[in-house]
Amino acid sequence: MDSSTSVALEPLLSFLTFSFSKLESGFYRIPGSAVVARYVKSSHQNDPGRTILELILVIFAIRTLLQSRTRTDRSGKHFIKFSEKEIDELVDEWVPEPLVQPLSEWEQKDLSSVPIIAGPNGPKPKLLATGKIVTNLASFNFAGLAGNEKVKERALETLQKYGLGSCGPPGFYGTIDVHLDLERDIAEFLGTEASILYSQGFSTISSVIPAFCKRGDIIVADRSVNFAIQKGILISRSTVRWFDHNDLKSLEDTLISVEKERKKRKGPLTRRFIITEGIFERDGEMVDLPKLVELKLKYKYRLIMDESISFGTMGRTGRGLTELYNVPASQIDMLVGSVANGLCSAGGFCAGSAIVVDHQRINGTSFVFSASMPALLATSGSEAITFLRNNPSVLLNLQDNIRAIRAVLEKTEGITLLGHRASPIIHFCLRTQQQSFSVTQPTYDYEAEERILQDIVDDSIANRRAANAGETFTWTRDEKAAGVVKASVTRILSKRR
Amino acid sequence: MTLNPPSPSPSIFKEKESLSQLLSITTAVSYLSAIQRAEFRARTRDNPHASPTPALSLSSSITISSEDTVLNEDDENNYLTNPHTPPTSEQVFTTLHAEFGHCANEAYRCVSKHDYTKPFQEHTIEEPPYYIHLATYISFLILHMLGHLRDFFGKRFIKSHFTHLMPHNGYAPLNSDFDSFFPRRLKRRMDDCYGQPITGVPGRTVLILDRYSPDYNHTQIYTGGKTRALNISSYNYLAFSQGRGSWADAVVESIRRYGVSSCGTRLESGSNDLHVSAEALIAHFLGTEDALVCSMGFATNSTFIPGLAGKGSLIISDELNHTSMRVGIRQSGAEIRIFKHNDMSSLESLLREVISQGQPKTHRAWKKILVIVEGLYSMEGTLVNLPRIVELKQKYKFYLYIDEAHSIGSLGSRGRGVTDYFNVPPDSIDVLMGTFSKGFGAAGGYIAGSKPLIDALRLRSHSVPQPTKSTLSPSLDSSIIVPNESAEELSGMAPASMLPTWINLCPSLADGSEARVRMRRLAFNCRYLHAGLKKLGFIVYGHASSPIVPLLIFNPGKLPVFVRMMRARPIPIVVVVVTYPATSFETGRVRLCPSASHTKEDIDIVLRACDEVGGILDMKHGSCERWGIDEVCERAVELAHSV
Repeated sequence: MDSSTSVALEPLLSFLTFSFSKLESGFYRIPGSAVVARYVKSSHQNDPGRTILELILVIFAIRTLLQSRTRTDRSGKHFIKFSEKEIDELVDEWVPEPLVQPLSEWEQKDLSSVPIIAGPNGPKPKLLATGKIVTNLASFNFAGLAGNEKVKERALETLQKYGLGSCGPPGFYGTIDVHLDLERDIAEFLGTEASILYSQGFSTISSVIPAFCKRGDIIVADRSVNFAIQKGILISRSTVRWFDHNDLKSLEDTLISVEKERKKRKGPLTRRFIITEGIFERDGEMVDLPKLVELKLKYKYRLIMDESISFGTMGRTGRGLTELYNVPASQIDMLVGSVANGLCSAGGFCAGSAIVVDHQRINGTSFVFSASMPALLATSGSEAITFLRNNPSVLLNLQDNIRAIRAVLEKTEGITLLGHRASPIIHFCLRTQQQSFSVTQPTYDYEAEERILQDIVDDSIANRRAANAGETFTWTRDEKAAGVVKASVTRILSKRR
Repeated sequence: MTLNPPSPSPSIFKEKESLSQLLSITTAVSYLSAIQRAEFRARTRDNPHASPTPALSLSSSITISSEDTVLNEDDENNYLTNPHTPPTSEQVFTTLHAEFGHCANEAYRCVSKHDYTKPFQEHTIEEPPYYIHLATYISFLILHMLGHLRDFFGKRFIKSHFTHLMPHNGYAPLNSDFDSFFPRRLKRRMDDCYGQPITGVPGRTVLILDRYSPDYNHTQIYTGGKTRALNISSYNYLAFSQGRGSWADAVVESIRRYGVSSCGTRLESGSNDLHVSAEALIAHFLGTEDALVCSMGFATNSTFIPGLAGKGSLIISDELNHTSMRVGIRQSGAEIRIFKHNDMSSLESLLREVISQGQPKTHRAWKKILVIVEGLYSMEGTLVNLPRIVELKQKYKFYLYIDEAHSIGSLGSRGRGVTDYFNVPPDSIDVLMGTFSKGFGAAGGYIAGSKPLIDALRLRSHSVPQPTKSTLSPSLDSSIIVPNESAEELSGMAPASMLPTWINLCPSLADGSEARVRMRRLAFNCRYLHAGLKKLGFIVYGHASSPIVPLLIFNPGKLPVFVRMMRARPIPIVVVVVTYPATSFETGRVRLCPSASHTKEDIDIVLRACDEVGGILDMKHGSCERWGIDEVCERAVELAHSV
């Protein structure tokens, strides 16, 4: 029995010895293998336990390398194993929430109170619901470009030649010569090297910020920047430090503390950005641009400034804050503005150096992945710039109107006017009793306050004036309109008390 | 064979003074086109609503502006502007051949519809031979090595070129050289293939502005010349983006009446009656309760998705979803899981896992699950497996969001997208999103669904309530309305009461026959091109009836060469090539988008060009049975109906 097995195993054994010797000679032929062999031998002699330990280490390393690097929930420690039947039961039991919560009564009212205009928008539009002609203090028509015949004429010509849609993203035959013209016009108007055109205002800044600010970069932003900027900051994943609203002292403190932190950590130099608005959409405050530029240069930050409101409204010819303060636009690294507001067309732009602009042509998500704007809107924008260049008196008129309306509203009881006195958007808020008495932070009932404001708005509309919750915009000189707003405020507030 | 970007030579299709040409009408074709123009002018004048002065300037502006599009009398053989066969007296074409090809042959029509007798065509990926993959990897390796070498030496010896990549003067570099490596070192080599400016209507043909680069694509210099090329790249699927025609007249009228901008957001005095009727029309067109419009397609996704899901919800997204959706999903704050592209079994196993496991760590049940897919994928040409996904939806109770950016207006027998194609009732899908910039030839986007959903989105989405930021669909809605209507007419049941009274549509648009013809021409062109390329031996991705036909090239080096060779042909053709990061590393491709404006002869020309260029570039690695190019062209109808 024994001998027969040994006979049967003989060829196998001889093969094993042969292959082992072959392997050994092959191993020693590798340069440097002798050193490894000596090391293994000596370590095994000194401490056989160590060999086992090292073997385990090698196996562990191989396992780690082979493991997939993606998130594996199935093997995670929180993963519970279920049988197919249990999963079916769980699936049957699961009841999802409705996709959206139905609107509350208040929201319903809010939605139905949105004014719908019949026909063109302008200083005196007609409301669809009542058919009344109202004075419009709610639209972004600062330079009175809505319904401008020249713009219309140019748009019509463009339509005949270019059709309507551009039918492609800028990279893929969606760049039309009129887009290049408008980009050049904007850059020349502002005095920057170049500019880039986005097809929607909201998406402009929320695309510009993540194009430059990446993970690990530092953003120092104003506490009450508008929603689009907040979204852009959110998506950038950078480290954000906030400074007090429109308080450049607070900004400087923040910049100093960031620098201190960096020195303490001895971290590498990262990109640093200051993000703020020219005229704040939320309350109409205006930033002190020369001081801001001074700080930016002193602490070596790059400045992203949203001029959505101030472009087309401020300065002698509407070039925005840079013209108003006589600061060269090239001092602002990324100057973002709106073609929709200031030029009464659509879209937005970012102006800056050629490097800044070119970088966005491949990294600005909403530029790269969206169809470019229709040709007729681009030519309307160009025409509007020509209009602003040739008619500086329009903006003087705008300032007159702002002064007139503010003068009336300032005298109104129960409300406080916010914002800079030259701002083309005028916000007012309700003056509350608590504010004057308590030193502690007053507790606001936002919803109640909104309701009062909405009532004021509704009341104004009933009196043939369209306005907006808590904010008023102006183009036409109409002190009577301001008077009506004043009367509405007084009436509603007296009802509430 | 010139593989370099074209040098500044005068264009072969010279532009001449059109006014003088109009006086010397020589050929029958030019006579016909002159009659058409006269007719058009007469129609504009007859329009009782148009004011007299602008009408005059309008007709004059046509003569001037049509300089680019008018027939060129000198070029008798100019295929692109003159029809191949002159039309007979019975055929009346109201479009310019250069914008919308004249094609009277009824055989070249198809109906875009899913055949339920056949199983759903799964997304199969045909693999090329191994050496192609190997060559692709090696090309990328060489490109990377060269790029890094140039960076290494450049940073040391030509510092002035690298200031924005290096810390200077206390500022960190504006963009890290790693982030910008791809555009600087890889894309720049083929920059002449991207961002090519055009002028005029992006219809059947397009005028590209000639340019050349003296310094390896760092700067582009425009020569001032223009070249007319066959356009197989624009998303103008139904060719509604035209400078003339009944819909263009309606847009003209709407600009006259409403101006260009709506001057405000929808909630703040920016809404007008046109928005309201556009929304009603879209809802009616899609068969949903309500709809809303947004001024930009990208923003429709990126700002409305956060209004649908938030913390405690889960969003399941296809791995190849468009960036706009990814931005929206990231902003929403919901958990995100990804499933394999269009793989329904992967989706099902993922659903089973997430529903049984609940939220991570806490194991609480999800508030809701939103599955986000595209109807037609813009880079792959694949169609979503809608029947299966609707089945899964019933079983797993998730909400379904379909982005129909490319499929709306281009798929389905009535142009209503994937629901129409698969004949699935639209109310079985919770959220239907789409754009107007493609099939409808306008701009903007929409979301359609149930009334409570749309109302909630109107108030709660990101872009709508934000002051200053999102002037919604300025005046363009008017233009949206028009193509919509015409598409609406596809079903032949547009209630006239839904349209503004001042819109006068010509009879063929009003009864939907025009749109129906366009749909059927588009369906034929797509199927013919797709099947033809396969028969020629190319590897083509996507669904047989998709208007996006991706033709695989693989090697990065061949991409720019393909574009340049197509552009340098006797009849120039403009094509789009895409590679990393829009697709995966090894699957660089050409994306062809046939439209309703192409004639059968145009598709023949594209096929012939691909055949020749593809032969030179060694692109034919398909495993399908092969035909010669002549056979493909002859048996076109058979090919189109075989799929």
